This record gives sequence, structure tokens and C-alpha cells, in this order.
Amino acid sequence: MRLLALIALLALLTAPARPVLAQEADPTSPDPRVKFKDGERYLRDLAESLEIPRSAICLELSRYDCADKAFRIVLGGVDPYDIRIMQPLDQASLASPIAFDRVALQVCSNRVAKDKADPATAVLFKPAAGRPDAAWRAALTDRVYDRILRRDADEAERQRMSAFLQGIEARTGRSPKGQADQTILACFALASSAEAAFY
Amino acid sequence: MTHSASTPNASRRGVLAGMAAGLAAPGAALAATRRRGEGPEPRFLIVLGGSGGCSIIDSFMAVRESESPNGKILNAWPDSLVQSPGNGPFRAIDFSSKTIGAIPAPFTANQSEFVKRHSQDMMVVTYTGTSVNHGVAEHRSVTGNAAWRGRTLQEATALTYGAGKPIPNVHLINGTSFTDRGTDDSLPSSAFGERVPAPNLWPLSLDGYRGVKGAPDRSLFDAARAFRDGTLDPQSDFARTFAASDRLKRWFELRGAPLRDIEGADLITQLMVHPDSEDMPLKAHGLKSSPLAKKVREAFPAYGFDPIESQAALAFLLIRCGVASTVTLGPENAAVFNKGAALGRGGLSAGDMRNTPIAFDFSHQAHREVQSLMWSRVLSVADRLITLLKSEELAGGKSYWDHSLLYVATEFGRSRNRPEGAMTFGSGHDLNNGALIVSPLANGGHVLGGVDPETLMTYGFDPVTGRPEPGRHMTEAEVFSGIIQALGVETPGAGLPDMRIMRRKA
Repeated sequence: MRLLALIALLALLTAPARPVLAQEADPTSPDPRVKFKDGERYLRDLAESLEIPRSAICLELSRYDCADKAFRIVLGGVDPYDIRIMQPLDQASLASPIAFDRVALQVCSNRVAKDKADPATAVLFKPAAGRPDAAWRAALTDRVYDRILRRDADEAERQRMSAFLQGIEARTGRSPKGQADQTILACFALASSAEAAFY
Repeated sequence: MTHSASTPNASRRGVLAGMAAGLAAPGAALAATRRRGEGPEPRFLIVLGGSGGCSIIDSFMAVRESESPNGKILNAWPDSLVQSPGNGPFRAIDFSSKTIGAIPAPFTANQSEFVKRHSQDMMVVTYTGTSVNHGVAEHRSVTGNAAWRGRTLQEATALTYGAGKPIPNVHLINGTSFTDRGTDDSLPSSAFGERVPAPNLWPLSLDGYRGVKGAPDRSLFDAARAFRDGTLDPQSDFARTFAASDRLKRWFELRGAPLRDIEGADLITQLMVHPDSEDMPLKAHGLKSSPLAKKVREAFPAYGFDPIESQAALAFLLIRCGVASTVTLGPENAAVFNKGAALGRGGLSAGDMRNTPIAFDFSHQAHREVQSLMWSRVLSVADRLITLLKSEELAGGKSYWDHSLLYVATEFGRSRNRPEGAMTFGSGHDLNNGALIVSPLANGGHVLGGVDPETLMTYGFDPVTGRPEPGRHMTEAEVFSGIIQALGVETPGAGLPDMRIMRRKA
């Protein structure tokens, strides 16, 4: 009996480890080095992925380029020639996440306005043929993940975004305007996420 | 001639107050007030950084040629140009010139008007610094050469008086070290300065939603933020992987209460100086100017193109609207010209050069012209800012100015020698100088210390009685301490010297 128990214990100890599933692993990095994606880099990426010319993607008050003029330093840029700021801010300023949200909202609103104006070349906003349903939300989710974060959403992310969109739909209704608002907000949530702001 | 400190009234009450000040640690009264559960009275610190060396002997401690045995070879001014407004302790230089060194840029500079208007709040304090390197000396002028664990005057003020203010410490000037962060890492991040690189557009960065065309309703936008902050980010692989990053932690922290405080205060409106115009189409974007904007624009009409006027306009609103407890501004290092100024055959028109290149440091080329023009510029801005603050009541019949202290910080003084009898000459950096402080909280109406007429070097004073002490040199730490104590900042354990004579009250 003792021998059997010993054999069983040895078998347990020497058995190959069960593969650890990705979702079970603790992903926390012991050396978490991330950099802020400054305004210029951020807008160049979005200009490419959302197919809007860089010079037109975000204009504050319809006049001032968001990254180059309006929020250059606040969004991590430098301006050595005019105001002698040679280094990006050591830390995000109080205004940084607010300005970042503002830029993300402008970019997303801008893209959806263009989509509404020319549905044939729409990038993000594609109104549902009938009532917006789960398939419409899934397609929208895939589009915004692909365009904003340049990757596929996993299943859990699809579910979370779909639940969010459903909640918004309950407030906006299913009209084209409501669908456009949902598109802007889905875009905004991702475009202002930590994953979009840092690399 | 020697500029002596005006001896304070030696009344019994004053002596007792002085004794009490010597016995009790500065800041103890404030600490006791706080223990009783009362908040401190509001205080505001305005640091006006005079980059390049504002020379005190080219302003309030100027020496007449006739008063110095070496007046012809040192920087003593012609007697006719040195004013003594109101026969008080302060000197002033009123000077006009057709050129600034080799530059045909006529100007008229005036210091005496400021003295006439503010002498009761003016306090000039001599000191000798420890560096003639611009960046090092600028930073030491606000840390007192690390007098208090390296924290800056602005940080100390924000720590004591910034509670409840959305952005306690605002840095409006760029490209100088008056706004470098101090080295006291024990301070909360709220005490550190917020950089404002473009005062006219910066208010737009204080609201993530208002003025964005085509955006969904605000409540929906808020819902999207809540989804991002409460679900999307916390559960993303990215945020979980880099959860220990200080940058991410700060980012998430700023998205919380600080963001709500800033947006909740409607600062995108309250701090908007510009009117609706072609350049700033506010109305078309659902935005509007501050209710005080017209008043501010009248005080600083060049706010649209002159950096120091746009800084000063915003500085006033930051204090008046309860946003900040300290603001730092000053002339920048680039030349500033009047709008439309052109270099014709005869040179610039009178007053077209508003700011010399490299600010006060252009004294290397033309000492007297630059000191006169730049002092006049700094004092003009200070005067208008003070006037605005005086015009607004804070509480109990007292104005915002009654609670404020303005410190003209600078790196160093300038060398004293000149070619015999020359009016135009260049100067170098010199450790020896003095500082201007203007405040109802300071011991106004006094020059503390004096000038040796043989060398034109300043000397110090007794920190308690104010008695001039030739041979003594005040330190950066003593000036720092005097300012901190005049502001009533708590200083437990700091070990700062008691600078009783720099405070209006014990």
C-alpha cells in the first residue's frame, strides 16, 4: 500500500506540467517599460489607419493642428526653437489625458462625419441594413479594433464591446444617428485607451 | 552714498513681536490654526522670472555718479537719470535711447511710475548667489539653493495653499529653469508645476468634450469614458501586462479626480481670454470667453502676440478663478516686436522692440539699454497684474492682491565695471545682486541691505532688525526663507533661518 502511494506520488511529481492557458497566466511584466505615444506619432498612425490626410485629421477650432499647434507639449512633444522646450514632459501633465481624449474624440467624429458624407468609401460607420443586431455590433467591433488598435479583438473583448454598444443603443435608439453615435463612441473608447496612448 | 535699510518702528509692541518671532518657529502659528481645524487663509505666489540677470543697481538700488568715488568706471548712472520717487528708499531709472547697442531700436523706459504706485508693498532684499550659470542660478533662485530639501517656492506654496484647487502650481514661462521641478521627491504630485506652453490655446486642453464638432451627447461621451476606465482598460492585456508602470499608474490616476475637477470647473470657459474671432472661432464651436476676459484684455492688450502679456492675462484668471495658488511667468528668450514692426531705413520705430533677444542677458551687448527696457517691461506687467488683483475682492473686503506675493526672481547680477564714462557697454554675470518682492504680506517700503559706493556691490542686513551690515552677504536660502515665511507657509523641521524683517507680521 505504501509502495503504491509512493509510486502515485512520484508519478504526480514527474508528470509533464499541464499547459498553462494564456488567459490564466499572470501577464504582469516585471520590467514594465512603456512610452507615451506623443501626439504627432499618434495622429500619424491614425491618419494612416483611418485614411484621413495627416493635415486634416484633427484641427482644434477647425484651425489649429492638434499635435503641432494646439497641444504639442501637453501631448509629449518638444519645441526647441520657439519656446526652448527640448525634452518631452517627464510625466503626463494634468491636461494630458484630457487633451488626449479631446483629440481622440475629434478624430473619431471626423471619420464618422466623412463616412456619413460618402458611404461608398466608409471606413468605420456602416449603417445596418435593417435593425442593428449582434452581427452589426460584432462587425463594428472588428472594424474599430482593426483600424484603431491594428489587431483583432478576442472573444472576450467582442463581448464587452457589444455589451457597451447595446447599453448605448438603449439610450440613442436604433436610428442611423444612434448608430453613428455608437460608432464614434466605440472608436473613442479604443482610440483613447491605454493601449492606444502608450507603446 | 549708502542705501540703508529703513529701520522698522522700534515700538514696544514691535519688540515683543520680534521676540516672539525669535522664540517661535516660523509657521508655528499656521500649524496651530490648522490643528484647530481651520484652513489657512488663501495665499498666492506669483514668480516673475527675469531671465538673464535683473540688476538691482540698475533699478531700485541705483547709484549716482556723484555718490561713488569710482562712478566713472563703475556702473553708476548719470545723476539726472536716477530718480528717488516720493523721496522714499527706492531709486528708479527713467531712460530713453535711440538704440539698443548696435540695434536701431528706440525706446523709452520708466521705473519710477511703478515705485510711485507700489512703494508701500515693495521690498528690496540684497543677496549674493552661488552660480553664474543661467539654469543653475535660476533654479537656485526658487529653491534657495536647496534650502528646504530642494523643494521650490512654488511647490511649497502649492502644498500649503493648493488644496482644493484643480491645478495648484502653474508654469506659464517656457525655456527657463525657474520652473524646473525641485528635488524633494517626498512631495505629492499635485504640488509639482503644470506646464502651459501656449497660454492662448491651453484652455482647450482642459475639457475633453466641449467644442468638438459632431460629437455625441455629453452623457454618452461620459458613458464611453466610464466603459474605457472601468472595463476596457482594466481588462486589457496591455494594461495588465504593464500594470506596474509608473507612467500608466499616473495616467490612470489623472483620468480620475483631477480630470473631473478640471472639467467640472469649466476652465475651458473660465480661462479663455480670447474673444470670438476669425482666429478663435469660439461661437462656431459652442464655446465662449471668460466672463472676465474683456477686463483682462484691456489690461493686457497685446495678449494675442506678446508671450508675457498672454501669460499675465492667464495668470490673473488662474488666481481669480481659484484654479492655482501659484503662477510663474516672465519674459521669454526670443525677441518680441510690435505687430507690423519693420526695419526701415531709419531702423525700428519707437517702442517696436518689446523684448530683447535672450531677455536681460542681452546686457552682454548693451547693458544699460537692456536693463532699462527689460525692467520697464517686467514692471509694467507686474503693475497691471497687481492692479487687476486689487480690483477683485476675495473675501471680507480684502482683494486678491491682499493675499498675494510677487517675487521677481533672477539668476544673478551683472558686472559693475565699464569703460570710463561710457553709456553703452556690455556686462558679464556677477553673483552679487538683490531681489524685488512686492506684497502686502512683506515688509514693504524697505530696502534691506545697502550698496558699497566704492565697488557698487551690495551688502546684507540683520535678519531680525533689518540693520544694514556692510561686509555681510545674504544667501539664496535667506531670501527663500523670507518669502516662504511672508507667505505663512508651514515649515516644520525645515531648519530655515528666521527672516523676521522680511515679513509684515510676526
